[in-house]
Amino acid sequence: MAAFEDDLLALLPRLRRFARALARDAADADDLCQVALEKALRARTSWQPGTRMDSWMYRIMRNSWIDTARSRSRAAQTFVEEEAGVAVGTEGDAEARLVQHDIDAAMHALPDEQREAVALVLVEGLAYKEAAEILDIPMGTLTSRLVRGRQALMARLGEAA
Amino acid sequence: MSIDPEMLMAYADGELGPIEAKRVERAIAEDPALAEEVARHRALRAALGARFAPIADEPVPDPLAVVLRSNVIALPHARARRAVPGWARWGGAIAASLVLGLAIGHGVQDPGYVRTQGGQLYAAGKLANALDTQLAAGSGTVRMPVSFRDAQGGYCRVFTSPVADGIACRGAQGWALRQTRPGSARATTEYAQAGSVDPALMAAAQEMMAGDPLDAAAEARARSAGWRR
Repeated sequence: MAAFEDDLLALLPRLRRFARALARDAADADDLCQVALEKALRARTSWQPGTRMDSWMYRIMRNSWIDTARSRSRAAQTFVEEEAGVAVGTEGDAEARLVQHDIDAAMHALPDEQREAVALVLVEGLAYKEAAEILDIPMGTLTSRLVRGRQALMARLGEAA
Repeated sequence: MSIDPEMLMAYADGELGPIEAKRVERAIAEDPALAEEVARHRALRAALGARFAPIADEPVPDPLAVVLRSNVIALPHARARRAVPGWARWGGAIAASLVLGLAIGHGVQDPGYVRTQGGQLYAAGKLANALDTQLAAGSGTVRMPVSFRDAQGGYCRVFTSPVADGIACRGAQGWALRQTRPGSARATTEYAQAGSVDPALMAAAQEMMAGDPLDAAAEARARSAGWRR
């Protein structure tokens, strides 16, 4: 049965990236990963070998994120966002950190339903169909959320993107 | 004719079928603003990719590994797998390139399977020809068990041959080799089984694939369209 954990471990780098695109900061993202992993281990019998484990895991992580993120107050998030700017980016040069911060702030300003669509398609590189299945929404709903999210990001990032 | 924002975005992402894509291309040709919007969509994808890609390259923090570690005894193997640095994965490709290099070197009666252009490996000769013309159902020493579209909407094909197995994606310059490894279908094996494709290669294809593999009809259509996206 170790193969299951092995496969999960191999997925972890991608799951961390997805979590980072969803969550407020790096610490929250790793908390989210931990919650999602624990859930996955408890729910392992619901995964069918031979199906896509990444899709299954993305779905678990996204649902965990909904559970935790929605219980937080928006006001608290806005407050923390201010200081996050100082802590952002321990890697790269100043300009790269600035772009990084801009992108993080722009992502964070998106409504959750747009952010998750953007994270799956633009960060994780999934096809629309796969993203719609993970989010359990029709294709039309996915594309309309995605296009609104992207337009908001492009407007906010302007030429920086 | 008007192109709605969703359709334009889907075009930028390579998510449209050939007929819809043609429609959008015609509209773009008449309206530079649409072309700009496509470029903005692609730039945003690139910017987000560049922002988040490094996170997937970071070592996984211990507390996360611990969640799995506490659940499994066979950990050393799992950890070893995670510890493989990115560049090591290229080892196989380098080895295969050497094999391919030999194939070029001995190209007296063999036209060679590969050429280089601008530092990139491309399929040549028999391999390029098979990639262009052969369908998954075909047989022979060079086989194409799976064809698919990647996230950018380009066509890619998994191939097996006596010299190398791999994945080739169709670009403007020809079939760029994205993955190569030593060939599994030896010259003596005229009818290699599709089931004999290296699972790691199929996993790599799965990673690159947007949506499902092409079925026989879609593959035939892609071939008659010259594998252009």
